[in-house]
Amino acid sequence: MKNNIRIVALVICLAVVLCTAAAALADSNKLTVYTAFPESEVIYYFNKFTAETGIQIEYIRLSAGEMLTRVEAEKENPQAALMLGGSTDNYIAAAGRGLFEPYQSPELANTPQAYLDPTGTWNPIYVGCIAFACNSDWFKDNGYEYPKTWEDLLDPKYEGEIIMAHPATSGTAYTVLATLIQLKGEEACWEYMGKLSKNISQFTKAGSAAPNAVALGEAAIALTFSHDALQLTPEGYHIELSFPEDGTGYEVGAVALIKNGPADEQENAKKFIDWICSVDGQGSYAENDSFRVPTNTQAPVADGLVTLDQVPVIDYDAVWASNNKSKYCEEFEEKIVAKPES
Amino acid sequence: MEITSKSSGKSAAQMKRLNDTKTILRQPILLIAVIATIILLALFVVYPLVKVFIFSLTDETGKFSVENLHNILTSSRYLKVFGRTMLLGLIVAVLATTVGYIFAYTITRVDIPMKGFMKTIATLPILSPPFVLSLSVIFLFGKQGLITKNLLGIKGNNVYGMPSLIVVQVMSFFPIAYLTLSGILSSIDASVEDAACNMGAGRWKTFWTVTFPLSLPGIISGALLVFIQSLEDFSNPATIGGDYTTLSIEVYNIITGTYDMRKGSVLAILLLVPAVTAYLLNKYWVNKKSFVTVTGKPTQARKLIEEPHIKWPLFIICMLFAAVVLLFYGTVIFGSFVRTWGIDFSMTLDQYRRALQYGFGSLENSIILALISAVIGGMLGMIIAYITAKRDYYGKKFIEVASVLMFAVPGTVLGISYILGFNTKPLLLTGTAAILVIVFTFRNMPVAIESGTTTLLQIDNSIEEASTILGANSGYSFRRITLPLLRNAFFSGIVYSFTKAITAVSAVIFLVSPRWTLVTSKIYGLFDLAKYGQASAFVTMLIGVLLLFIGIFNTIINLLLAPRSRVPKLTKKAEESK
Repeated sequence: MKNNIRIVALVICLAVVLCTAAAALADSNKLTVYTAFPESEVIYYFNKFTAETGIQIEYIRLSAGEMLTRVEAEKENPQAALMLGGSTDNYIAAAGRGLFEPYQSPELANTPQAYLDPTGTWNPIYVGCIAFACNSDWFKDNGYEYPKTWEDLLDPKYEGEIIMAHPATSGTAYTVLATLIQLKGEEACWEYMGKLSKNISQFTKAGSAAPNAVALGEAAIALTFSHDALQLTPEGYHIELSFPEDGTGYEVGAVALIKNGPADEQENAKKFIDWICSVDGQGSYAENDSFRVPTNTQAPVADGLVTLDQVPVIDYDAVWASNNKSKYCEEFEEKIVAKPES
Repeated sequence: MEITSKSSGKSAAQMKRLNDTKTILRQPILLIAVIATIILLALFVVYPLVKVFIFSLTDETGKFSVENLHNILTSSRYLKVFGRTMLLGLIVAVLATTVGYIFAYTITRVDIPMKGFMKTIATLPILSPPFVLSLSVIFLFGKQGLITKNLLGIKGNNVYGMPSLIVVQVMSFFPIAYLTLSGILSSIDASVEDAACNMGAGRWKTFWTVTFPLSLPGIISGALLVFIQSLEDFSNPATIGGDYTTLSIEVYNIITGTYDMRKGSVLAILLLVPAVTAYLLNKYWVNKKSFVTVTGKPTQARKLIEEPHIKWPLFIICMLFAAVVLLFYGTVIFGSFVRTWGIDFSMTLDQYRRALQYGFGSLENSIILALISAVIGGMLGMIIAYITAKRDYYGKKFIEVASVLMFAVPGTVLGISYILGFNTKPLLLTGTAAILVIVFTFRNMPVAIESGTTTLLQIDNSIEEASTILGANSGYSFRRITLPLLRNAFFSGIVYSFTKAITAVSAVIFLVSPRWTLVTSKIYGLFDLAKYGQASAFVTMLIGVLLLFIGIFNTIINLLLAPRSRVPKLTKKAEESK
């Protein structure tokens, strides 16, 4: 009896493996993607792309850091053809490690020079700037105005009410830190962060945890990207944005071709990059509550969405930021997080 | 075994090993089992871990380097994280084992009402992805918490940190201690305790002089299993630990945040050392204690404790704990029917509709893969328990150590080690379902081995000997005697494997592929977006799936392995210990 069960189990196991192998071989009309976009959002783009081209997409949603770790670990035998979404930090780091196959879509003609990759490896597909995401209920209850400058955040009334992620684990938080360094200079930035940390309830691991905490009322203000915060509002959470008047940073999201990805998917992958860079592809941002701002200047923008020309953005240097990441993250840990409580 | 022996005994131990080795060589089936087990363990346990070791001790060019190790060992920050991790593990191990023991003792020894309910409560927490409990803590005790804000009117309660972590981990892991201990407690022969009572010892004295010492191996092994679980737990510290960072989180942060896999591997190895050390110490300690209590001699049914002053306090303690567990799970289930928690409490089925729309395929994948791995792992576990518990031969130590090693490896590192180990030909497995099945099988098997071994150690050799003397060959004895007695161990092994496989998060985060997504990675993604309603809907469905399958396993195992009526005493025994 025992042997029988074992045989049955082995047969099932074998069948499953064979089916996978068969499925992988039979289908060349497909595309495999690692994406950092939220699942409910990305499925909209994939369905639209499939409807237009007939190419079937298999995907998996990972955080940007996980995507990079995975692509690097798999570099001898890449499993996916595309890396989609997540800020250029990760793409610059991955390109530096030789994980991408350079490809520039012809559709990038209408994208401003500032967003483009100077090395011509990855393709910019959206932008979003750093905002103060405020829990409107908390502000109403306390009768406060939304903060308007970085200095406003130092007000003692916000003690334990401001939340941001840890720069070492979150691209969002690192963009905040890099923005402040570019805005104020290194020394003044550490001094400012030291003061700000008194009002910060927690440095969360994941970037998305900060706006979530504001949605749930765990904190009043999150330092995060505008689209990450606004994507929570269709769920019914009460979040409103305020932008620092003294200057803010922004992220550029990207897509890139993974080096040595599945050979039969290369053309499909390029088709997808071209599509997501096109007016049609980036116009989809306006259709599904993504709150993303397109990089293609010809693409329509969702009603009421704040674009970068309405906000005092600084001239954010993404390459400099990416190259200095480990240095500043270590300093952040030493000077801000590990500092004994005073 | 050599540890206890003197010079004359040492040669006896060697003689036994030699003899046992010869016996095995004469039995082809046993020999094949031993060799196959060794090969499997070498390939899927030792090899990927060796890969990680090599990876952590080399630099970018592949040359030997201890720079990473040195940096970490001299950093006060990492030492502090290490200390915190150990402290948390110890506290949780003590508390969870205490709770598990109270439940196991009350259910097996005391005449209380609602036993079925208690048993369900004591296994329920094992049935869900752990971060669900964290979510309930936030929902109930956070700044918008039902209890803190709406009931007590406390504003701005900070739930993130060590106290919440202890509560959630104790609730998550006490079932492991309970499962181990209830097995042990119900197989202690009733006549041993009765004898103590008959000779005039009170309940208290009987407990401390008979029951407690006999269950000590179970206590140690339960506490150890909990300790290791706490060390490697990822989801709870990640969601509710706040600034109380543990090693497994630090590993994950370093790997995904700074892309430094080498440094992460070094930290992971630091995590491995205490866990493996603790396990090996325990292994020898337990083996030194002889606790043969299943004698096969006539015994009567256990008389349950009826004294009100013992019965009711225990009942109330268990009920209170049960109420807390139910409250936490109720919160999650309630959350799955609510439109937006904390904002709009109107009832809706939308969460289920959306969850199934995006996640039906991944739910299906999870069930199929967990099922395959649980059955394989359960059987392999019983085989390993059988070939290691009572025999001693060359290569046994290797099987013993390798088969439990995975239990102590943090999930994130396991994922990385499998990617490092199985991403090149001829061992190309990444992207397939097989790699997930293999990870689940070897990672979750130790519980099956533990409970199998514990059961086998309690079976007196004379039972199998008697069977052999009466003319049965060893295969027949195994099928008719050992296997029915192993039924409970097999059941708990398979249930544990299945639930752990279907609820695994950190081990699979790097291994799920676009073709083979799993439901937990979907839920994890939903947490990122604060879609807690949908996450709760998935979790509620998962609990349903698990309960269904545990019922199915139970039925099948009872049908297939029920002892025949020709051994009436054992039948009774087995039924009792169920």
